[in-house]
Amino acid sequence: MSTENANLTLFDDEFLKKLEYLNIISKRLFAGQLRAERRTRKRGTGLEFADYRAYVAGDDFRHLDWKAYLRLNRLILKLFEEEEDLPIYLFVDSSQSMNYGEPSKLDYARRVAAALCYIGLANLDRVNVISFADGLKSELPPQRGKGRIFKIFRFLSEISASGDTDAKSSFKTYCTETRRRGLAVVVSDFFDSHGFAGALDILRHFRHDIFVIHIASHEEIDPGLRGELLLVDAENNTTREITITPSLLTAYKAEFWKYCEAVESYCGKYQLGYVRTTTDFPFEELILKVFRQGRFLK
Amino acid sequence: MTFLALSPLEAALLALLTSGAIIALYFLKLRHRRVVISSSILWKRVLDERQSHSLWEKLRTIISVAIAVTIALLLGLALARPEVESLTGKNERIVLVLDTSPTMNTLTRDGKTRWQHALESAKGLLNSGGPTTEFRIIDTSGVTASAFTTDRNEVRRLIEQMSPKTADPQFPRVDDRDSQVYFVSDGVTIHNTPSFVRRVSVFESANNVGITAFEVRSIPSMPLSYEAYLELQNFGRPAEVGIVLSGTGGQRINKTVRLGTEEIYKDVFDLSQFEGGGIRAMIQANDDALALDDIAFAYLPVKRKTRTLLVTHSNRFLETLLKLDNYVELAVTDPANYRESPNIDAYIFDRFAPASAPARPSLVIGTPNAPWLKPSTGEVKKPEIATWSESHPVMQFVSVHDVTIERASRIEAGNLTVIAASKQTPLIVASEKPKWVMLTFDLESSDFPFHVGFPVFIENVLAWFSREQLALKRSPGIVDVPLANAQIRTIDGKVISSDQQLGATVFATSEPGLYAATQGDQRVHVAVNLANPTFSDVNRSVFKTDKSAATQHYWLRRELWFYMLTAAAALIAIEWLTYHRRITL
Repeated sequence: MSTENANLTLFDDEFLKKLEYLNIISKRLFAGQLRAERRTRKRGTGLEFADYRAYVAGDDFRHLDWKAYLRLNRLILKLFEEEEDLPIYLFVDSSQSMNYGEPSKLDYARRVAAALCYIGLANLDRVNVISFADGLKSELPPQRGKGRIFKIFRFLSEISASGDTDAKSSFKTYCTETRRRGLAVVVSDFFDSHGFAGALDILRHFRHDIFVIHIASHEEIDPGLRGELLLVDAENNTTREITITPSLLTAYKAEFWKYCEAVESYCGKYQLGYVRTTTDFPFEELILKVFRQGRFLK
Repeated sequence: MTFLALSPLEAALLALLTSGAIIALYFLKLRHRRVVISSSILWKRVLDERQSHSLWEKLRTIISVAIAVTIALLLGLALARPEVESLTGKNERIVLVLDTSPTMNTLTRDGKTRWQHALESAKGLLNSGGPTTEFRIIDTSGVTASAFTTDRNEVRRLIEQMSPKTADPQFPRVDDRDSQVYFVSDGVTIHNTPSFVRRVSVFESANNVGITAFEVRSIPSMPLSYEAYLELQNFGRPAEVGIVLSGTGGQRINKTVRLGTEEIYKDVFDLSQFEGGGIRAMIQANDDALALDDIAFAYLPVKRKTRTLLVTHSNRFLETLLKLDNYVELAVTDPANYRESPNIDAYIFDRFAPASAPARPSLVIGTPNAPWLKPSTGEVKKPEIATWSESHPVMQFVSVHDVTIERASRIEAGNLTVIAASKQTPLIVASEKPKWVMLTFDLESSDFPFHVGFPVFIENVLAWFSREQLALKRSPGIVDVPLANAQIRTIDGKVISSDQQLGATVFATSEPGLYAATQGDQRVHVAVNLANPTFSDVNRSVFKTDKSAATQHYWLRRELWFYMLTAAAALIAIEWLTYHRRITL
């Protein structure tokens, strides 16, 4: 989907309604600036009782439990859970390697990002969309409310694939500027010559809740290559002459799955959410089933 | 390493050019198909891991060019016909001379013949040398003489076709300039060999008693009576020898004699009781190693009266002489009543000749005028017999040296056979076809009729005309019969193949036997016998102390170029297979 109109037709109304009822489950609770349909550990002005504590000077006396004072002759303060909004940071890999496959991984990533943004907006969460490659390419300021979805669609449609991948540098730049923790969703193919672990370490260091969406194309999983070839790296245009042999193909496939397992293993080790998909996997099923299996939606 | 087709410099240049061309072609790389991939990270890992961790991966980049260069070098150098002496031997020439003397048929203690041992030795020599070694095979009978060839199978085939012949064996003329000459022999019949010849002996001493002479001969006093002369010799340990003479009519003479070492036995056997036909002499002795000389053949002419017509005005002496001859059935007539008859075997024309030659042979006395006879060109007074042919059948046992002749006719002999002649004119001439004998002098003007040889002469003439002759004596091998376009049959009536050479019929036989050559109404018998003490003395070898010549065997049986082409073909197949399986690049 390379045009705006095309992106606007990515999701029909029926699909959007289904997404509306889904909630994003994060493994941790985060503090938010605005009330949202999400509980946090922070005690505040919510409706649901949370706990008692002794009154100290400066507390809002409106939350004193007068019945307890009559029984115990002590000032006891009622604590309520405060419902806050959740910052969602959607990091979309827009390096040149994402412009590969049919459909391209970038198109697939756009759909995933758009869907997550819609769900976040529908739950009154604060949604940030960041395009990165060898650095931060573009950033959509925090959006809130379903009405902002078209703005997000427009932003996503304007993302173009270019440049090498340096996620670590990109994340580091973004996180140092944005201190607030939240749910960081990384949508990428993780073909990063600097390594994927360093980038995810940055997000962990800033204590974001991380969910990894690993996109691969069918052409990468099973490349139909034969004979004498000059392989051109889409990101940096480096070339390499190669003679494709069956054993070499087998070794490549083994290396590919080894790499995927390394990403998954990393995510498992640090309890990060992880899901791997391919671009030929039906998108609706991915949203409704794979995300559910990945405990991302419920 | 040497090269048979190129000089070393040319071969080196060829190798360099070939290798250079292949390497240059190898570096003319194929244009690779350009394929854009999302990332080369994984490919780089795979390739780096393969190249860095495997010696094979490091080598495989150059292994294709190495194979290609090797193939090209193998093909190129194969053209130069390389030769490595330690592997294939050097390019040498070997001449194998096989003794085909009859003594090679002598049995050895292992039951084989010397010839079989000779064949084994010859084949052993064939297996020696290298693949470039050229062989030539020659025999001592002059029958086989091949050209030099490296095709051992061809030489082997020629050897298989050879057999001991009994034609006069002679060591062939061979050129020793660039050849090794091996002579495989028992050393019995050929004693003198050139000094450069390496002798391979197959000699082993053996016992042998052989017939060294056998013939049927007429008795001079009785022309139609025959006797057989037999001669034996023992060339081994003392032995008891059984002698059997047998005729075609079932007549048989048996005799046993004991012969000491080197002892010769001679005997004459009366054949008056034998019917005409083949006569066979056989001997038997224990441990006799050579069978060829244990049998001999001869021919006993069939006794039959000659129906003779004497045409004369009057010759009482000649008429009486012929009437007294028991083997002549005489009829006499004068020239006026002469008529040719189919019942007459021979004619005697006394001072008369018919206008045309009779169908049967004739003896013409005097020089009458007739178109078929040589005309008289004059008269010679008192001619003296200067020469005569003792070998002609009509002159057997006849001496004419003291015959006196008053006068004779002068004739030109032309193509006639002159049997006796004076310095001035032929006196007795003979024609083979038509068959006739003519005396150029009148019997009344000569004392020839009063000589003791005259009746023998008449008998010889009649015998030559119509009676069977004794067999010609020949040795096994190539047998010639002085009868053109004759058909050769064995004593059993079996026709054997023959060739024509210089007006004679030639056939080959390696064993004794009695043969009949016929051409029209002419018939000649040939007795083929070994009957030669030279061949029967199987222990008279000069090779007694010789040992087999040492031969050298080499690793490879063919020239190197064959193996190089085979290796190149194998490498091409391997390269094709590995390339298409992407094992090599």
